[in-house]
Amino acid sequence: MRDEEVDKVLQKASGVAPQVEPALLKRIADSINSSLRPVRPLPPTSVLTGGLALICAAVAVAAAARAGFYGIENLSLWERVLIFSTLGILVWMAGKEFVSQLIPGSRRHFSVGAFLTIGSAALLGVFALVFRDYRTDHFISAGIACLLTGLLLAIPAAFLSWLLLRRGFAVNSVAAGLVGGALAGLSGVTMLELHCANFQALHVLVWHTAVVPVSATAGALVGWVLRGLSAHT
Amino acid sequence: MGIRCGPVKSYGAAHRQPKKLANCNENVTFSRHAANTLMDSGSNLNTLMARYQAGDFAAVTALVECIGPQLHRFFMAQSASRSDADDLLQETWLRIHRVRHTYRPAEPVLPWIYAIARRVRIDHYRRASRTTAREHRLEEESDAAATLPREEARTDDLETLLAPLSESQREVIRMMKVAGMSLEEVARATSSSVGSVKQKVHRAYRHLRDRMNAMGPKKGSSGGLP
Repeated sequence: MRDEEVDKVLQKASGVAPQVEPALLKRIADSINSSLRPVRPLPPTSVLTGGLALICAAVAVAAAARAGFYGIENLSLWERVLIFSTLGILVWMAGKEFVSQLIPGSRRHFSVGAFLTIGSAALLGVFALVFRDYRTDHFISAGIACLLTGLLLAIPAAFLSWLLLRRGFAVNSVAAGLVGGALAGLSGVTMLELHCANFQALHVLVWHTAVVPVSATAGALVGWVLRGLSAHT
Repeated sequence: MGIRCGPVKSYGAAHRQPKKLANCNENVTFSRHAANTLMDSGSNLNTLMARYQAGDFAAVTALVECIGPQLHRFFMAQSASRSDADDLLQETWLRIHRVRHTYRPAEPVLPWIYAIARRVRIDHYRRASRTTAREHRLEEESDAAATLPREEARTDDLETLLAPLSESQREVIRMMKVAGMSLEEVARATSSSVGSVKQKVHRAYRHLRDRMNAMGPKKGSSGGLP
């Protein structure tokens, strides 16, 4: 038996459907009619993605401006280009995926988990290439300070991103939280690269990069809690 | 006369044949005139959805009439009772109504609707699994289902045919055969990649082919697997 023959059998079987009550359909249409009014569709994905990227950049630059641009001042031109172009690409990808998560039936090019893995690996690769000082002075204390700074900055970035996309509807709130958290985390990493003048390789590789997965995990937890709440109601 | 509302593609010939149109439930009569007027004027689901967003009640009526039976069948395939499927259908339309602004006029409608319908079904399952009396109710439901006549319990030939497949494979085949969605549209509705959907369809077809071959060509071609 060939695929075409299986097709025919399935086609024939799919023709016999259980009937639905016309009264039920009428009731649904009437209930919709009672609150029917024109709505404005969401803007295109590129506009929303651009808005998210702008929010992330604005939050990172504003925080770095307040704390000082010590990090970027001590980087060479090619190091600046390499680090910030990578961050820019990752922010754009995360923003696009976040928008997709908030619009039902959007096209998916990669899974959220794959994005997180590839994004973290890309950051590790770039940092490993740029930073070659292998000392570990104040590894824990300086590292935790950077991690907390990055995570604290992710909070306003996540909040502003949510404000921009609040009209969306997350089909999978955990995945949306994960990618939203990753996006906010990337804003935190951008701020750290602008501000932090600690160029020890392990410090940057461990503590700066950790902001993204930790923030993504926190976002996924928020999504999971929200899903639980909606399941209760 | 049925309402023409969506494309049906075959997996084997999906890349070669032009789109065919499938008939909606023949038994639906309400507001048929309004629906036919909209459809006959060359409108499609995208146009109807755009009119729905603009607040056109005739478009809402046509959409509910056109997609409602498909969605009902989608829920019937997985719920133990018709009343559950009715509830899920109503809940889906309420949710569609609430988030109708998230539909983009240039995008396909069916993946958008089925993504919401899947969410409603998952939420319903989660809610049900949280209730302490779940096991008790399942026992009652299975007893009730067992007492129904065979035609009532499983009137759907397609579901009988798909019974040996895994849930994810059944879902994909249902979307393709009942809703007439393409591989790309199914991928969008299920939040997965086209490759993953292709793989599920391929495995499902292989399973069905083996099963039909094992049963003999006569039984297989009649579509009446036990």
